[in-house]
Amino acid sequence: MHPEFQNFACGSPAHAISRRRMLGTLGGLAGFGSLLHPAIARQVCNQHKRVCLIWLDGGISQYESWHPLPDSKFAGPFRSIHTSLPGVRFSELMPQTAKIAHKISVIRTMATKDPDHSTGVPRIQRGDPLDRGVDYPTLGSAIARLLGPANPELPPYIWIKPGNGGFIHREAGFLGAQYGALALGDGRPPIHIHRPETVSAEVDMARNLLRQKANQRFTAYRNSSDVDAYETSYKMARQLMARKDIFDDNLLDPKDRARYGSHPLGRHMLQARQLLEAGVRFVKVNSYHWDTHGDNFNMSQRLVPQIDQPFAALVNDLDDRGMLEDTLVIVMSEFGRTPIINSRLGRDHWPDCWSIALAGGGTRPGAIVGETTADGAFVNSQGYDIGHLFHTIFTLLGINPQETRYHNKSQQLAIARDDCQPIREVML
Amino acid sequence: MRGPWFTHGCSHQLVFYKSFKKVFDFLTPRKWDCHVVLRSLFANVTPLTMGLAFTLRLFGAPALHEQIDDLVRAKAGDVPFAGATDDASFLRRVTLDLTGNIPAPSDVNAFLKAPSADKRTAHIDKLLSSNAFAVHWADRLTVMLLERQDQGTVTNEQWRHFLESSLQKKPAWDVMVRHMIEAKGHGSERPAMKFLGTANHHTMTENIARLFLGMDLTCARCHDHPSVEAWKQSDYWGLFAYLNPTRQATHKTENQVYLVEDLATTKIEFESVFNPGKKTTGPRLPHGKEVEIPTFEEGDQYEKPAEEGLPAVPRFHPRELLARDLTAADNFLFARNSVNRMWFLLMGQGLFHPLDEMHDHNPPSHPQLLDLLGHEFVAHAFDLKWLLREILLSETYQRDSRLPEGISQVDPTGYQVCSPKPLTPEQLLRAVLRATGNPQYGAARQTEQKANPETKKFDRKGYFTGSNTELPPSLEEAEAIFALTFGQSPGKAEVDFTPGLNKALFLMNDRMVHHWLQPREGNLIDRLQNTTGTNEVARQLYLSVLSRLPEEEEQLAVEDYLQQIPSRRPAALADLAWALLNSAEFRFNH
Repeated sequence: MHPEFQNFACGSPAHAISRRRMLGTLGGLAGFGSLLHPAIARQVCNQHKRVCLIWLDGGISQYESWHPLPDSKFAGPFRSIHTSLPGVRFSELMPQTAKIAHKISVIRTMATKDPDHSTGVPRIQRGDPLDRGVDYPTLGSAIARLLGPANPELPPYIWIKPGNGGFIHREAGFLGAQYGALALGDGRPPIHIHRPETVSAEVDMARNLLRQKANQRFTAYRNSSDVDAYETSYKMARQLMARKDIFDDNLLDPKDRARYGSHPLGRHMLQARQLLEAGVRFVKVNSYHWDTHGDNFNMSQRLVPQIDQPFAALVNDLDDRGMLEDTLVIVMSEFGRTPIINSRLGRDHWPDCWSIALAGGGTRPGAIVGETTADGAFVNSQGYDIGHLFHTIFTLLGINPQETRYHNKSQQLAIARDDCQPIREVML
Repeated sequence: MRGPWFTHGCSHQLVFYKSFKKVFDFLTPRKWDCHVVLRSLFANVTPLTMGLAFTLRLFGAPALHEQIDDLVRAKAGDVPFAGATDDASFLRRVTLDLTGNIPAPSDVNAFLKAPSADKRTAHIDKLLSSNAFAVHWADRLTVMLLERQDQGTVTNEQWRHFLESSLQKKPAWDVMVRHMIEAKGHGSERPAMKFLGTANHHTMTENIARLFLGMDLTCARCHDHPSVEAWKQSDYWGLFAYLNPTRQATHKTENQVYLVEDLATTKIEFESVFNPGKKTTGPRLPHGKEVEIPTFEEGDQYEKPAEEGLPAVPRFHPRELLARDLTAADNFLFARNSVNRMWFLLMGQGLFHPLDEMHDHNPPSHPQLLDLLGHEFVAHAFDLKWLLREILLSETYQRDSRLPEGISQVDPTGYQVCSPKPLTPEQLLRAVLRATGNPQYGAARQTEQKANPETKKFDRKGYFTGSNTELPPSLEEAEAIFALTFGQSPGKAEVDFTPGLNKALFLMNDRMVHHWLQPREGNLIDRLQNTTGTNEVARQLYLSVLSRLPEEEEQLAVEDYLQQIPSRRPAALADLAWALLNSAEFRFNH
């Protein structure tokens, strides 16, 4: 145990500091690294690391994507195709991704525990922590807390999703509301980022000067970190308002839009690229309706190209821009789908053996990890739980998952399950 | 042990008690032992101490607020303290703290002009007896106890009525809490059961430990607390054992949910995840004695047969025992936790902080003060208003928030200056409404809604995404929008200030706030528009928004801004008000 650790966890000096905790991430404040375990403070040299999590909610079928087994008894109607990696085949529904197989890696032996959506989604996104009586943060909030913003002008965790947006606190669990997600519902930022129409930019500037003057007078004879943090939150807010352009999908190149696809997932992944480029630390992109209990094959035929096309485009774009090395892209769901095809030509939930794809951020290009039984139903090598993936992600980001702890009041909480390790085969 | 002198005695016995206690503190290394020894000693010599107390009363011990100041100064030693804050900021501070609003401009004027002797004390008393006090403290206690969760079958309205009617009278905190835990479900005591929600055993156990004993026992559910030696797994399960027989049941003809108790015959079994081996405990409070579970003869276990869907009522009611023993005068954890939470509500930080970490590793900043407040609170029969009044009367509360000359940094736990507290979501909304002169906002719709509950529901999510472009139609909806923006998420304690991007963006750009800054009959911008002379405009503006008179420099700035753009006067006036609403001086209670 680190000598400073005990002091931090229980001693009142730490409480005094945490009480004065400032904006954290929805504000993104330089200097809050000081609140972290000293080991992390040393690690915060990885300022340029980014993450893009693409969440295919409901569960993409591994047989119709990363792990086609057209000759097995569980095969569907689709063929498999060659990829840019000799001997590795993807489903024919993934022609674009097949061309960049050498840039990505696939883990084919994910073996997780939860077969239900309602419990599986939060459990997987929180890294299936041991029950410590608290609500763990999801991956985005965890990284927002552990690494802070990559660009101090922008919130570290943005979530692009269909439907409603806003500031979603529950993502942060016990870390507290400020580590929640700024969610762009249908790709749009919360309405409060816009000034009322009747207030011109000029007037806004003038009235803000008045505000600043009033604040200077108030803070001149006072010494309160709460008051200082309040002023900082205004600075952050104004910076974000000034960067509204990064949310404006009208500004996107029509050629790019054609490459990513006009469907929501394509548009949102292009927007994700824009946010990553602007310096957002963690972008989550959600796509729904992958739960193909009925008519799996027609649905897959329609759905899988919607990830194939923008995923390949995103990886290529990040590569072209020299960002791939520092940007970890993850494509996953809460579980895979059953080998057995049910009576409605669907596949059900299958956590026992399924696949995820990773790219960039220090992953090993072209790594195809894990061996399954010939029919793909079960793991035949080491199976990996979500805890292993969390260790892998943290390690890739330069965070030591063994040493680093969250401090929740007097509790010291592991950031990833203690009984798991990083998946070395997928790392450089 | 129930100390009779504690419940019936008067406070001055405590002076005597404390002088003994000092000796004992010196002789005994562990404070708790000292309390126990002294209390049992005193319990046996009640007549003697009664007599002594009477004598001491004749000599007149200092009032509690004076003792608070003495202890704060004694701890600080030789450091400079800020002086008393000026009348305007005192008025704003105390009005926000007691009534959840900034003072009306006319009240500021009147208070500034009133002759000085005793006017602060008189005003504190006036506010404490106002209805606005009951309403605002019902807000504060609700946020503390329910943490913005709508739980159980009792409506918010009924719950608030329970709190408000208690607060209008002479609120006895122990009685209020007792009713919450007894949760009898009948008559006027029914609303209090909302605190126990749907009777989830772990939730009840954790909430009672956290909110009434200052113990976050979450860890102790599975094992002894890893770093706080005093917090044992048996403390968690002892508390749990009181609550284990409790469950919800619906009365068939009334169609009402009650919290009933099943027959308890055995102890609770628990096992540490670290050390195998089953252990058992009966109902037991931390530091308390285990309650023996009585055995009755077969057929004699129940005092009332089952009826109307409610089960038979056993003779043994552990929840009632919990309510009694938890709030008893000799449960010093309860008294200390209570005064710490009230201190926090007025001072912005607890004497120990976090509020649910009352243990050796998180010592109070002023241990003697914490003890004193606890004892006096008990001695005054847990009179909440009395406690608040004493804190408010102290110099410590009334100190200036500006640093004393020559000082650039202070430790907030030293109380050398008043630490600014952020306004709660409820305070902020009321303050914005009063500052902008729109106090009636939403009132019409509120009445309409009550008369006709079928009225269309307001889309709150859409309000934030822009798909709903309406304004919140009622005060209730405006409150909900403010709580969603400035409050913690449901189930999280609202204790520490977390400013954020979204909060700043809201006050800057919100439609509702913008709407309130448009001239409308009788509101601030309308009044300012009809005011002649920039000095008077500045005066009205500052009185209305910041509850004080402007300084000369500020008057000049107002004049200057209005002259820059004379063509758009209403808009320029709104800009000036906007700037003050978005300033830290407005956002904080200082």
